[in-house]
Amino acid sequence: MSAQPPSSLSTDDAPPVAVTNATSELKQPPAEKPSDIRRRGYVILSFWLIVLLLGLPIWWKTTTIYRADLPLQEMLDWSDGKACRPVFPLRISIQANSLQDQEAQNLLRLTQHALDDLNDFAGHHLRLQLSPPLGDEATSATNNGSALTIRLSPGEATTATLDPYEPTLDITYPPNNIPSPTASSSALATYVASQLRSTFGEEQATISYLLSTNSMPSEHRPLGLSPETVESLAKRTTRSLKYSPTYHLTFSLFTSGALPSSWDIETAIEEYMKPVLDVLSPIHNFTIDTQVQLYAAPGVQNDVLQKQDLSSFINAAEWPLSPSIGGAPTINFIVFVGNQTIVTSPESESSQSWLIPQWGTVYLLSQPWDTTHVSTETLKQPLLTFTSHLFSLLGTPQSGSLPLRLSTLTRIRSADLLLRASSTLGSLARLALALPSISIPSSVADGVSKTMTHLRLACDNLGGLDGLEHARIAEAEAERAFFEKSMVGQLFFPDEHKIAVYLPLLGPVAVPLIMGAINEFKAWRKRRREKAEKGAEKKKE
Amino acid sequence: MDGKVTIGRTAGLYIGAAVLRLAIFTLLPGIPDLLTGRVEISTPVTSFKRLQEGLFLYNHNVSPYDGGVYHQAPLFLPLFSLLPNASSYPIFTYLLYIAVDLLSAGALWKIADSGETVASALFTSPRKEKRWNGFIIAAVFLFNPFTVATCIGRSTSVFTTCAILHAIAKAVSGAPFSAMVAITFAGYLSLYPLLLLPPLVLLCYDRQRIERGIKSVIPFVATNIAVVAGIMGLLFGMSYLITGSWEFLTSTYGVQLTLSDLTPNVGLWWYFFIEMFDSFRSFFLGVFWLHLSCYVGGLTVRIRQQPLVVLTLLLGIFGIFKPYPSISDTSLFLALVPLYRHVFPLMRYTFVIAAVIMYATFLGPAFYYLWIYAGSGNANFFYAITLVWNLGQSLLVCDLMFAVLRDEWEVERPEMAGKEIRQI
Repeated sequence: MSAQPPSSLSTDDAPPVAVTNATSELKQPPAEKPSDIRRRGYVILSFWLIVLLLGLPIWWKTTTIYRADLPLQEMLDWSDGKACRPVFPLRISIQANSLQDQEAQNLLRLTQHALDDLNDFAGHHLRLQLSPPLGDEATSATNNGSALTIRLSPGEATTATLDPYEPTLDITYPPNNIPSPTASSSALATYVASQLRSTFGEEQATISYLLSTNSMPSEHRPLGLSPETVESLAKRTTRSLKYSPTYHLTFSLFTSGALPSSWDIETAIEEYMKPVLDVLSPIHNFTIDTQVQLYAAPGVQNDVLQKQDLSSFINAAEWPLSPSIGGAPTINFIVFVGNQTIVTSPESESSQSWLIPQWGTVYLLSQPWDTTHVSTETLKQPLLTFTSHLFSLLGTPQSGSLPLRLSTLTRIRSADLLLRASSTLGSLARLALALPSISIPSSVADGVSKTMTHLRLACDNLGGLDGLEHARIAEAEAERAFFEKSMVGQLFFPDEHKIAVYLPLLGPVAVPLIMGAINEFKAWRKRRREKAEKGAEKKKE
Repeated sequence: MDGKVTIGRTAGLYIGAAVLRLAIFTLLPGIPDLLTGRVEISTPVTSFKRLQEGLFLYNHNVSPYDGGVYHQAPLFLPLFSLLPNASSYPIFTYLLYIAVDLLSAGALWKIADSGETVASALFTSPRKEKRWNGFIIAAVFLFNPFTVATCIGRSTSVFTTCAILHAIAKAVSGAPFSAMVAITFAGYLSLYPLLLLPPLVLLCYDRQRIERGIKSVIPFVATNIAVVAGIMGLLFGMSYLITGSWEFLTSTYGVQLTLSDLTPNVGLWWYFFIEMFDSFRSFFLGVFWLHLSCYVGGLTVRIRQQPLVVLTLLLGIFGIFKPYPSISDTSLFLALVPLYRHVFPLMRYTFVIAAVIMYATFLGPAFYYLWIYAGSGNANFFYAITLVWNLGQSLLVCDLMFAVLRDEWEVERPEMAGKEIRQI
């Protein structure tokens, strides 16, 4: 406002003596006093001092974007799979109590050879070892951390059976099948190798599928997956829920009329489902709630449900099915009491239940119209169905005995989480590189370093429960860092917009400031020149 | 205007002003609470309602700054808790506010009688005969509707006004220590008066030089700044003892510096910061505060001969550009303007200024009503009228500055008196 003081009523460039022009009526103002010139200089200086000494530091301090240092190259290495080769060293113990040590060693060597010949996927490696022959079978199998124990025992013919309760493969062999110490191949060894291969086939396929869908370098990428396998694996992967340490199970009884109005769900869960949940407990925790809803109208009223009806059967608008309680994802198990049946195709028999991918299961239960109470026995079949569907929803492989399937689930989930956390890290690194103006708060750098620590631990312990735990933490940290709120807000603020922010206010302020400084500078130069000229004239005289 | 003011007339003026206020307080009991709630009078940092909230918390041994409603200085709390409860015995609060207004008027009277405006240490106006005496100046202040409304609305800014006027009065009467104490109190209450320090110290210095012949300026300035720092430290220490923590610093001055409460007021900040991108908020807070303070240096240098003019113009500028202005700041500026009666003839836009200020005064509440209560307008309505209001005030500031500078210039060029001039 006073940068150009109104008192400067006389011009700077007025000549020292007024020009006396007879025709001009304008009288030139007298020259400015030196004190006035100096004062104007001070005024302009006072404004510029504030701008330069206070304004610039404030501008610098408040608008520089804080970018914490991220280990970008390492993050990209993780997402490219260079930092960690997911290798699952599976140890398999052989118990051959009836064999001589020498014979057993020999058999083991031959079997390992046969296995190595069969195996085409480096990431999934089976390694055989002899277990101490006299050790207690159950403890030795769990203690030495082997994934499977092969019990060799002499018998009539060559047979193989999986123990349904323990990770044990029982193989019988005719006594004359023991390979001689000098033999370079043996039918028994080949048989054992092919048995092992078929046992772990599904796991191998799943892991190689996971690796191939992620951006792993091609040398780790297994080749031998047939399109059908890929398709079925893709189907299974889309069906299963995202990994979470805790799931919430909701059991709902919906009835089309007023009856039945109560059910023995607690004892039924205790009896038919609890054992499975207990087995799953190292991998997942479960919380459970139940509800009963009378006069619940399904989304489809037909008596016979076609395949296309199944997707609209859930009456999402009216049924009280909360999407998620607390932080844990919800899995819904619905028993619907009504007289509807499912016929998917004319030739197949009618079924009772269907699975909704990543959501849950519906079981149609037909009851006599006057049933008031659903007993535990009636609930047996629905709950067994739910249990087997729960496995599918959790992404458990389908073949093999239960203990094997669970340990496979652990490994698959670890690999999945590891890959997902790595690719999130990679996305974050690419984001940081692509948007130089995005701010990176220190919490993000924190999350990244935590993620990498846990990824490293997970990578070193792949295959065990520790590995799963570390992979889970790594994934959670990576997601938290990627979705940091203060970063997302800055995403859509390109540099061009800054002009629109600065100009409207600072433009009008800057014009008088800069013009004042320029005018003052010009006047100063002119005064200097005049002084110099005067000095020169004096010298001449 | 005869220059002679009898004791009877003085008493009459004060009693008249007191009776007017008391009558509004008691005969129209709805008015005080109505005015207390008006955004034009009560800002988040001066509101009486918020003071009562803080007082309630304070009296119940809770930190008054809990809840984020109270943003005023902690020393108000013991003062107001000495008074009986404002809702059951409001008369004591009324009397306190009336007394503060009368004290301000007394200080103003002293300033007017000192003649500092027409004849400062370095400059004597050629029109010095033409000025109003203290009686008229005090009367204009006391019966200014803005002053009355601020008093009735019990905004705590009256205490700041009183402190600033006393600081000036002490400075012109040659008591730099008291002046510094008063300005420190004002700065303690509302922070921005500290920006008045440079011209005020110069005013004290000029006066001292006449009376005591002090030569060197630097020790004088240093002493004064030390006094301000010492008193401020003392006040902060007392506040710390009262509230038991340093929380009050962020809750009072922090709110003014960061504008965390965006309640609308007659100023220009709130709307701007509602619209501001979050990432630029701190930068523009810096810009706005620098803009507010950059006038201090320039004006002080330019009108070095008349520091009181600088103080007046700065108060006008603060009334426009400070973070939480209210009509109380305008009333302070308008109280000082009549001291320049001698340059009124040199002002060019008096009619426009009066019209714009009246226009905004009447339409402001109407537009606020349209926005908040009727819902037929939006925030832009109210913001537009505050722009007009501030335009009126800045016109007044500019015109007064022009008149004062022209007055100075005519000393230099007596032959130009009364002629049309233009800036080249």
